[in-house]
Amino acid sequence: MTDWEPKIVAFLCNWCSYGAADLAGVGRMEYPSNIRVVRIPCTGRMDPKFFMAALREGADGVWVSG
Amino acid sequence: MEHMGIEPGRLQFSWVSSAESTKFVQVVTEVTQAIKELGPNKTLVKSIPEVA
Amino acid sequence: MLGYIDKIKEVSKRLLEEGQVEMVIGFRKGTLSMMNEPHFARTPAEVQNFVWDSNCGINLCNYLTNRTEKIGILAKGCDSRNIVTHIIENKIKRDQIVIIGVPCKGMIDRRKMSSLFEGEIDDVIEDEHNITVKGAGFEKILNKKDVLQQNCAVCIHRNPVIYDERVADLVDEQTDIDRYADVREIEALSAQEKAAYFEKLLEPCIRCYACRNACPLCYCPTCFTDESRPQWVGKGQDTTDVSTFHFLRAYHCAGRCTDCGACERSCPVGINMRVFTKKLEKDCLELFGWEAGLDPDVRPPLDTYKPGDPDDFIK
Repeated sequence: MTDWEPKIVAFLCNWCSYGAADLAGVGRMEYPSNIRVVRIPCTGRMDPKFFMAALREGADGVWVSG
Repeated sequence: MEHMGIEPGRLQFSWVSSAESTKFVQVVTEVTQAIKELGPNKTLVKSIPEVA
Repeated sequence: MLGYIDKIKEVSKRLLEEGQVEMVIGFRKGTLSMMNEPHFARTPAEVQNFVWDSNCGINLCNYLTNRTEKIGILAKGCDSRNIVTHIIENKIKRDQIVIIGVPCKGMIDRRKMSSLFEGEIDDVIEDEHNITVKGAGFEKILNKKDVLQQNCAVCIHRNPVIYDERVADLVDEQTDIDRYADVREIEALSAQEKAAYFEKLLEPCIRCYACRNACPLCYCPTCFTDESRPQWVGKGQDTTDVSTFHFLRAYHCAGRCTDCGACERSCPVGINMRVFTKKLEKDCLELFGWEAGLDPDVRPPLDTYKPGDPDDFIK
């Protein structure tokens, strides 16, 4: 499995990292395409059940960023 | 989570301001790299029985 | 601990007669040995059914959630801490309850007892230190210390932390005990070993939710397990779903669990799910110096922000 690429679910805060992701897009910066972004209204919305669900449905990693 | 048998690093936390696109790119790269090294997740994945 | 009962009856009777409370929650003899059941005395006459011995392990605080009447309640150390948690979480008002503090010396683990004998136990008679167990063809005297529930054996809050009436002098608190030996044992395992350990531990779980129902903290009107849109956790006995249920339930108890042992006690298949809650309890103590339910005026760590909160896990 040399060509295996991980699937990472990213929970990004609307006001912080999501903004950063947007800015990265505007600035045409390159970054790995393994992340699948879920926008949350605030990192305070994060709940253990979110990442448990993500892992259960087959994610290889979870990244929470405020 | 680590206590529950998920490898350390499978779940990552970070703090990036909305103006820090460079840091965002850097963290994405780091996270991806860390998880690549861990390999596919095997714990807590629900296996759905195949239906013929 | 056995001598408490007269005082318990006396206090409860007085509270009911004076009209200070509308009911007193305590214990009465269960239909099976070692299984005392909750008793709700609403008249002074019903007080006669109260009992108190080493089989009163159920956490009575569970019956206080969202009650509106005036209630008298018997409270061991752990019950009283859960009452404090209830007050903090606005599930009951302080002026609504009269807490009858019962200093506790630990409750008997009925599963440990039954495992010691071949046949069924018919009768259990206890005195201050020993227990005489009678069954078909056997009779044995055991030391009470040897058959305590594990959480009682490592308990450091035997005396109620909050009370209006007290039925006896406070007992000596245990010091010098290693409370988290079992947690450390698991912490030392590798990720794979942990996963395997928990899978084995949870294998017999039948998802009856007895642990959830016995727990005074589990009062959500709709539990996440019953939510169907979105469905966070499957309802079957799939290993992933079973562990998701137990992990998430433990997370919900973080910073609130008092290690009363009601969950483990109620489990029909004898799973020690306290290994999860205890780890979180240990973390709370180490990271925030917090023990649940000691003071109704202090907000719990997951409820407040302090600039000094540990944040090593954030990059």
